[in-house]
Amino acid sequence: MVRVNRYFQDIWDTLKSTMIGMRITGKYLLRKPITVQYPDQRLPIPDRYRGIHYLEQEKCIDCLACARACPIDCIEMDAIRHGKELEWVSFTLDYQKCMFCELCVYPCPKDCIHMGTEFALVVEDRSELNYDLLSFKGMAVDARVRMREAEEKKKIKEAAKAAKAAEKAADENDGEKGSGSDGGGEV
Amino acid sequence: MSNSTSDQALKAHEPSYSTEERRTLPSGEEEFFFDVKTSDLEVNMGPQHPATHGVMRVLIRCDGELVTGAQAHLGYLHRCAEKIGENVEWLQYLPYTDRYDYLAAMNNNLGYSMAVEALMPGFEVPRRATMLRTICVELNRIASHLVAYGTYGLDIGAITPFLYAFREREWIQSLFEKICGARLTYSYIRIGGVFNDAPPGWLTEVGHFCDVFEEKWKEYRDLLALNHIFIKRTAHVGVIPKDMAIDFGLTGPMLRGSGVDFDLRRDMPYMAYGEAHEAGAFDVPLGEGEKGELGDCWDRFSVRVQEMMESIKLVRWCLEVIEDGPIIGDVPKVLKVPPGEAYVGIENPRGELGHYVHSDGGKIAVRCRVRGPSFTNLSVIEELMVGTLLADSVAIIGSTDIVVGETDR
Amino acid sequence: MIQEQAQQALSHAVHPGSNVFVRILEWLPLPEWVPGWVITLGGVVIGMSIFLAVMSVLVMFCVWLERKVSGHIQCRTGPMYAGGWHGWAQSIADGVKLLLKEDTIPNEADRTLFWIAPAIVLGSIFGAMVAMPLSYDWWFGRMDLGVFAILALSSTTTIGVVMAGWASNSKWSLYGAMREAAQVVAYEIPLGLSLLAPLFVLGTFSLNEASAMQSGWFGMKWAIFTNPFLIPAFMIYWIAALAETKRAPFDLPEAESELVAGFMTEYSGIRWSFFFFEEYAAMLLMSVLAAFFWFGGFESPLTGALRASGVEETSLLFSVVCFGTVMIKGFVGIFLMMWMRWTLPRVRIDQVMTMGYKYLTPLALFCVLGAACWEALQHLIFS
Repeated sequence: MVRVNRYFQDIWDTLKSTMIGMRITGKYLLRKPITVQYPDQRLPIPDRYRGIHYLEQEKCIDCLACARACPIDCIEMDAIRHGKELEWVSFTLDYQKCMFCELCVYPCPKDCIHMGTEFALVVEDRSELNYDLLSFKGMAVDARVRMREAEEKKKIKEAAKAAKAAEKAADENDGEKGSGSDGGGEV
Repeated sequence: MSNSTSDQALKAHEPSYSTEERRTLPSGEEEFFFDVKTSDLEVNMGPQHPATHGVMRVLIRCDGELVTGAQAHLGYLHRCAEKIGENVEWLQYLPYTDRYDYLAAMNNNLGYSMAVEALMPGFEVPRRATMLRTICVELNRIASHLVAYGTYGLDIGAITPFLYAFREREWIQSLFEKICGARLTYSYIRIGGVFNDAPPGWLTEVGHFCDVFEEKWKEYRDLLALNHIFIKRTAHVGVIPKDMAIDFGLTGPMLRGSGVDFDLRRDMPYMAYGEAHEAGAFDVPLGEGEKGELGDCWDRFSVRVQEMMESIKLVRWCLEVIEDGPIIGDVPKVLKVPPGEAYVGIENPRGELGHYVHSDGGKIAVRCRVRGPSFTNLSVIEELMVGTLLADSVAIIGSTDIVVGETDR
Repeated sequence: MIQEQAQQALSHAVHPGSNVFVRILEWLPLPEWVPGWVITLGGVVIGMSIFLAVMSVLVMFCVWLERKVSGHIQCRTGPMYAGGWHGWAQSIADGVKLLLKEDTIPNEADRTLFWIAPAIVLGSIFGAMVAMPLSYDWWFGRMDLGVFAILALSSTTTIGVVMAGWASNSKWSLYGAMREAAQVVAYEIPLGLSLLAPLFVLGTFSLNEASAMQSGWFGMKWAIFTNPFLIPAFMIYWIAALAETKRAPFDLPEAESELVAGFMTEYSGIRWSFFFFEEYAAMLLMSVLAAFFWFGGFESPLTGALRASGVEETSLLFSVVCFGTVMIKGFVGIFLMMWMRWTLPRVRIDQVMTMGYKYLTPLALFCVLGAACWEALQHLIFS
């Protein structure tokens, strides 16, 4: 008797649960889809999104803190120092390696490297994934100006120094002359 | 199709197809007898197969549809995760922890961070950080169980529940995207606290998610878990009795599905779980053999489905008690951990995820070891699959809810 | 005696014409020296090509519908770009892609069988479709035993599937083929038995006549309304038809998560698309068969109204309405099949067998008995 019961119970359960399932799927059939047509419509990207980095190059001091923090050593930077000012050669980030962990952002003392919202890494060749984050090569315009001003100041100082020395020398009535310095600029 | 060793094994007992017996019947007709021997079929399920959830290979010996032997081959996704932990700095290892159990990256971050924090004497994680950690970990548990729910449906042949599950998982992922910027590999929970504070309005949205999810959860249950065909496919299949579950060292829903009442969150409380349990914020669902026997595939599946609801309760409790404060403790930028060794196990969605770290006082760990729950849970399938049908073997692999990234690490 | 009366009753409803294409050729001003067999052969050839074209378009529409239905059930949109409006040209684009794709054949495969198998599968299902009239006036083969022809030819596809599975020389394919053989043999029985019930009620094997028998009540005297036992019989037929057409929850021969792709694992390109075509053609055939024997065939209130207003059954308007009616009914059935596919999990092979032999077959027998008793009672009471 139990078996007979179970036989009909099985039939009933199958029909009932099928109906319940079809009610749920039928409900969503009539609703609006939740997906968006990607290239035409895009979902908003939150501010904290970790995409391709961007660099505020003017602030960067080439301290290598981000490169040291990177777990896979994908950041490489190269700059020539002219006293205080920097002449940028390269600041590359290898996106074949990068895992977008944001660990490079936190140690930065000048807060100049950030994660952007750009995420598409579509290239035709692998080597193109080695991004250069620099917005300009060489020296920044204001850095150049600053450097020239500093040079000029230095020259003026040196000239004044030389003049003083010459005065001193003249005072001491010596025929020798102090040699002028050639300044720091070797650009 | 079959590997060379099995070929040799087959050759050793090569059936004599050619033996031909001839007999003359009384009627004068000649009758032939062919002595045909059959051998079991060896089928390679994987490394690329829809049922193996990644690149795992299961070598199955079949007698027709009946499985007479099974052997799991691992290692296709081995990425030296532990060795990397001994070569990079403490904090730098954090993004790698995301990658072994990629469905529950928050939990991995938490396990590693807690192991390192255990080495720092007297270090206290700020309360707000603990609460944010709990919220994220529990949301991630829901996301992981949603994948388990959906892919189990796929294994059994129902495709739609998978997409419904992913709909809610997308929401959780966008919540994570808002708080930490990543959708899958978060690296959010760091040594000493969390990376970012919750953005304004985030906690409200989490509360809203909890409300909506409760509605959807009922649909999940009705659509798949209580479907009669699904019950017929999973009940009485792959039964793990209590003793066997303990013997194999199973943890997580696999263990609780067999009726063993053990949950690290309650029995060895860490973070705020002890407090939460005292406040009655969560229960530990157990398999009861409701539709079949205790410890069958349906029980394990049902435990996961119910755990989603418990996680929702926990998140709600956290949203109630969370208060403003610092989100990270006083951790130096270049971390030097005092010498010592520590093992911390936490309740991952798949079971006990243990991190063992050994420090000699330097910037880099001397030894870093991970105890992955998937790896241990996987060991039971070889035992379970023998004597089932081919379709059941797929159901059994699915019910273990493995993440191959973690079994191979 | 009774049969003659029934024949007479039917004769007003069923047009006794000939193959529609032979008629067209006869109407053409052909020279007299053309022998008669050329006209017949030409009619068959032209008819078959038009028929294949129409069926292919319908099947392509089915494929597009499947993708849209599954998409919307899963909160997606399905194809949206090809062709403009809701991706209507997606099936055509897919067809072109499949035609241009490389047709790979495994090295160790039995090439001859591998080539023949898809042809058998497609040929038998289109052969079965010949027995399907498109309206009272449009038909290709006058088959008084049309149901038998359809059942016999549609189950011939199994031979092609088994052939494909064996010839592929892949273990997954072999599993798929064996499952298909077991499943189809098991479900032929309830399928045939459940069809017996409406056959009792309608008293005919011909699809045209079955439809004509349901023309009463202003086109609403559908068989399912006249006999309560036909409702369970229809449910059994429907389940068996799902199993026959290898649709979920009975898609064991291709069980994606278990057997990769079952019997078509090794197929690619246009050869693979033949199997795909067969599945949808079989769905259409099974749905239309259900429409003919349970849901009035060509009959609907619309045909009833046309008939009442004196439109001839051989007229073009009537034929178009008939064709439209049966196709709408067929597509409702196909939609139901899709809806079930995207809801239910797959059953296991032993459960398929249990369901076929232990549940559906006895219940179908019960339905046949019940339907026969009901008819006998009606006969006793009303005559």
